[in-house]
Amino acid sequence: MRILTFLGSRVLFALITLTGASLLVFIALRLVPGGFADVVLGPFVTPEAREILTARFGLDQPVWVQFVKWFLALFQGDLGTSLVTQQPVAAELLRRLPVTAELAFLSLLFALSLGLPLGVASATASTHGGGRFGRMVGALGASVPDFVLGSLFIFVFSVWSLGLKAGGYTPLAEDPIENLLGMILPAVTLGVFGMALILRTTRDAVLTVLTEGYIAAAVARGDTPRQILRHHVLRNASVLVLTVSATYFGYLLGGAVIVEVLFSVPGVGFYIYSGLLNRDYAVVQGGVLFVAALFVLLNMLVDLAYVLIDPRIGASRSQQ
Amino acid sequence: MSILIRWLAGAALAATFLAGSLTTAVAESRIVWGKPGEITYGDVHVAGTSASWDVFQLVYETLLATDENFQLQPGLAESWEQVSPTEYTFTLRDNAAFSNGRKVTSADVVGTFERILDPNTASYWAKQFGSIAKVEALDDHKVKVTLEEPHTAFLPAVAHISAAIIPIEEYKAGSFDPITQMLGSGPYMVEEHKQDESWTFKANPHYWREGYPLAETLYAPIIPDESARIAALRDGRIDYTFFGNPDVELLLARDQNIKVQPQETSNYFRVDVNAKNPDRPFHDQRVRQAMNLSLDREAIRDLVFAGTTEVDYPVPRAFGLEACHQLPTYALPRDQRVERARNLLQEAGNPAPKVSIIATSSSELYSRIAQVMQQSMAEAGFIVEIEQIPVADWLQRVFTDSDFDLSVSWLAGYTDPSMVISWWNPNFAIWNQSFFVDDLALNEALEQVKRMPNGPEREAKLDEACQMIDSGANLLALVNKIDYVAHRDDLIDIRVAPKTGSSNMFQYVDEFKSLKDQ
Amino acid sequence: MRSLTQALRRFAAGDRLAALALGVLCVMLFLGVFGPWLPLGDPTKLAAGPRLSPPSWEFPFGTDELGRSFLPRVVEGIRYTFLLASMAVAITAVLGTLLGMLAAYLGRFVDQAVARFADLLFAFPPLLAGLLVAAVAGPGALSVIAVISAATLPLFIRVIRSASLSLAERGFVIAAEVAGASTWRILIRHILPNVMSAAIVQLTYALSIAMIIESALSFLGLGEQPPRASLGTLLRVSSVYLTIAPWLVGFAGIVLSLAIVSVNLLGDGLRDRVDPLRGRPLT
Repeated sequence: MRILTFLGSRVLFALITLTGASLLVFIALRLVPGGFADVVLGPFVTPEAREILTARFGLDQPVWVQFVKWFLALFQGDLGTSLVTQQPVAAELLRRLPVTAELAFLSLLFALSLGLPLGVASATASTHGGGRFGRMVGALGASVPDFVLGSLFIFVFSVWSLGLKAGGYTPLAEDPIENLLGMILPAVTLGVFGMALILRTTRDAVLTVLTEGYIAAAVARGDTPRQILRHHVLRNASVLVLTVSATYFGYLLGGAVIVEVLFSVPGVGFYIYSGLLNRDYAVVQGGVLFVAALFVLLNMLVDLAYVLIDPRIGASRSQQ
Repeated sequence: MSILIRWLAGAALAATFLAGSLTTAVAESRIVWGKPGEITYGDVHVAGTSASWDVFQLVYETLLATDENFQLQPGLAESWEQVSPTEYTFTLRDNAAFSNGRKVTSADVVGTFERILDPNTASYWAKQFGSIAKVEALDDHKVKVTLEEPHTAFLPAVAHISAAIIPIEEYKAGSFDPITQMLGSGPYMVEEHKQDESWTFKANPHYWREGYPLAETLYAPIIPDESARIAALRDGRIDYTFFGNPDVELLLARDQNIKVQPQETSNYFRVDVNAKNPDRPFHDQRVRQAMNLSLDREAIRDLVFAGTTEVDYPVPRAFGLEACHQLPTYALPRDQRVERARNLLQEAGNPAPKVSIIATSSSELYSRIAQVMQQSMAEAGFIVEIEQIPVADWLQRVFTDSDFDLSVSWLAGYTDPSMVISWWNPNFAIWNQSFFVDDLALNEALEQVKRMPNGPEREAKLDEACQMIDSGANLLALVNKIDYVAHRDDLIDIRVAPKTGSSNMFQYVDEFKSLKDQ
Repeated sequence: MRSLTQALRRFAAGDRLAALALGVLCVMLFLGVFGPWLPLGDPTKLAAGPRLSPPSWEFPFGTDELGRSFLPRVVEGIRYTFLLASMAVAITAVLGTLLGMLAAYLGRFVDQAVARFADLLFAFPPLLAGLLVAAVAGPGALSVIAVISAATLPLFIRVIRSASLSLAERGFVIAAEVAGASTWRILIRHILPNVMSAAIVQLTYALSIAMIIESALSFLGLGEQPPRASLGTLLRVSSVYLTIAPWLVGFAGIVLSLAIVSVNLLGDGLRDRVDPLRGRPLT
């Protein structure tokens, strides 16, 4: 019952947040200088031509009418139609979601597979140097901007043929190996920041757990460090790592614009970015709402996981 | 520690698995074009951007074409005739067909003209035909166009892709929508389009040129980033592409198997000057003239384009005419021009005008041109700011709101000198009314040029118009625009015209041949 | 003031990595502030040398694509990157601290409203938000600052809120309430000093994120207007020339990464100070 009430309120707030977000985007887009007609017609735009084109796409109606129409269509799963391609935005987003999700998944995989062990190792390192090494890697990874790393990769992999593709995308279904070869560099580019994030979170979480009384008790009991690590430390640190991973994953679903542009990966971020450049309103509205919804959903799932793992947390969080 | 080792071992394993399976077979008779940008709009009669044109040019055809000497060549029409100063007849090829198999007929030509001229289509190209009185089908393969008055550039206008012939029967039946679909008689047809990702074209089986196109499939991934395009050329993922940045010759100099061919055009980089807005410094013609004199076009050529291009004139240098060449703007030594510019500013009572230059962020070249302009104008006393803004904002501020001083972009020069300079009549151009002051004498000269047949008399008139353009300093030419076509000569055999007037970079695409299948 | 220098000295003795980072940051700050008056050359003079020439005695960092000396360009880049990032973070710090304390202290409706506001900001990926803001307001310094503030604010609010939450119930706050102190006074005099350390630690992290976002926006062409250039702008422009003039990306990239690493290491060091319980070895 507790969980249901909790869930109910979270869903309600999520809906409010998303409505607010889409309203914000809608209004912002109408304030953007340079309309769709300008972009389509180029500089050769006559006032009549612009009027005809705006009327054809319903852009001449009052903003609130456009919003209400768009909002009502949402409930039928219709995110609008791209002005440029005349294709439904929802279909295009769904087509691109696997690309972005694959990229995000590979990045998270990379981040976790290096960040977790390095984080644990640096927190439990018996020598001062080991701990410092972990700290250094963490700080470095969080500090090299993705476009610097991406440019570097493109440089290295285009000058010497090292097998991986720097830019260009092959669909997974068409050729899984070609696909992976093209996805590795962008995934690593994005994953380095995640690696650092998870390394530092793990290190902090483990260090915090290590100060708890029950660890001292276990040490007194004569458990081996390995047992302690497995039974107490990792289990307790996992909550925090889970949160950070989920937030990071959510960020990857919408925030990989630069890497997608740099490596020509046709993901969701790229779609929204070019939609904005083309003043393709429906694409930007639908895209941002889509990304925000994914993000909110992920956070909700994490909250739910909390409640399931530790009911105390859920109670205190739901009161917030 | 053992956890760490296990993780690392897993990662290493994955890496070897990937490295072991690198080779994949390449499909035969397939050529790959690295397309720098997605189209902005799918309607061939409406879109005014070259990123859209280069797709249209694969799928659609025009009645006529132009070659590297800007001479007219047969297109969909195998012959044409100017019956009188205002009457033209075109004879269509009898084997030309749309990619759905239906033959191209006179009705398609008549319907296409009707669609372009229909105000509801909102085609920017309609005016370049002059004023059309009548388009009629004489028989299935003969079309006659009658103009209300002579218009020398009528045929060149017909040869531009914005006058592409579309299948009217299907259009009227509703089975073909020119906004969302492409159906033409050109060498290729669209097989698949993934927005921002790629285009796949298949050879049009009904293309009139027997045995062409040589490549069965043309695949065009969209790669906007210049560095990524270079990388793709190097690792053989694309066979050919093009660049605007002249430094690619430098960037690709060490690659033995990549060839870079500059393609000259009649296009040039230009600056728009806001003379309309009374609150802005360039409202005063003397300030505009001072700006024109102080511009260091040679520095733009040498610094931004590494000396690879040439200074250009309102009547594009590509036409080989003398118009404007002897004016002080071009012929006077730099220090004397700056001196004159200073004097003009003194005279105007505005010795240090504060102005801004808009350069769109679509290409770094614009911002570089603006930075050179900034420095050279400063020598004459101008205080210059630069605004690098997205294309859409630029369009609105320059062409709609009149909210700017100077704006850098480029202008297509087409294949007849009267086509480009007719834009200097704002009543004709419409698009530049936001910043261009109407000059009756200039308008009259431009109208005369349009009607005059080619010859010394027309050249003299062009020179006269050019001088008025220079002294009005309302829309100016900077330097010639050159495109750089790069290809892998071990993977593909391509033919690129050394010069194009109609922005038809890959005019001979049907002769491109893959070398990968041997 | 004396206690501050003492604290710094103690800090430096205990954590050499953080001290080194602090040193690097001080050098960069010095360059950023006094760069224009140092004899490094003119960052805007075109054709000062040949285009894209390698590092030499005359041009220690080489020249860029318009023949400008790259060393003063990088110094100017440091100036703009730091300026924009720290201005944005200052806004975040003031707003975030205030909202966080208010939410924790007043609770109920105010808490709810602040939490939802943070959620709303949090739901936008920062770069997309940046693109939108830049589209509406036009590219430039103001947009960049707004985007960075919006992106770093939610986390800041949450941290300050949770740090203040326990304080609201503490004896000295209740005592002050009983004595009739105004809300404002309680926030400033009693709660603020106690969340200060958490705020400072969070500040350094926000600064490093701010520098990343600033350079990313500049990389997309939405940052400072030319010829002014932040480190991100320099990277964008020179990344094209990576194969023939790798020193351009090299210098700009190293300086930017070094700046962010230093901020991060400083943050780590500060936090270890604030939270000294951590870091006990396992055995």
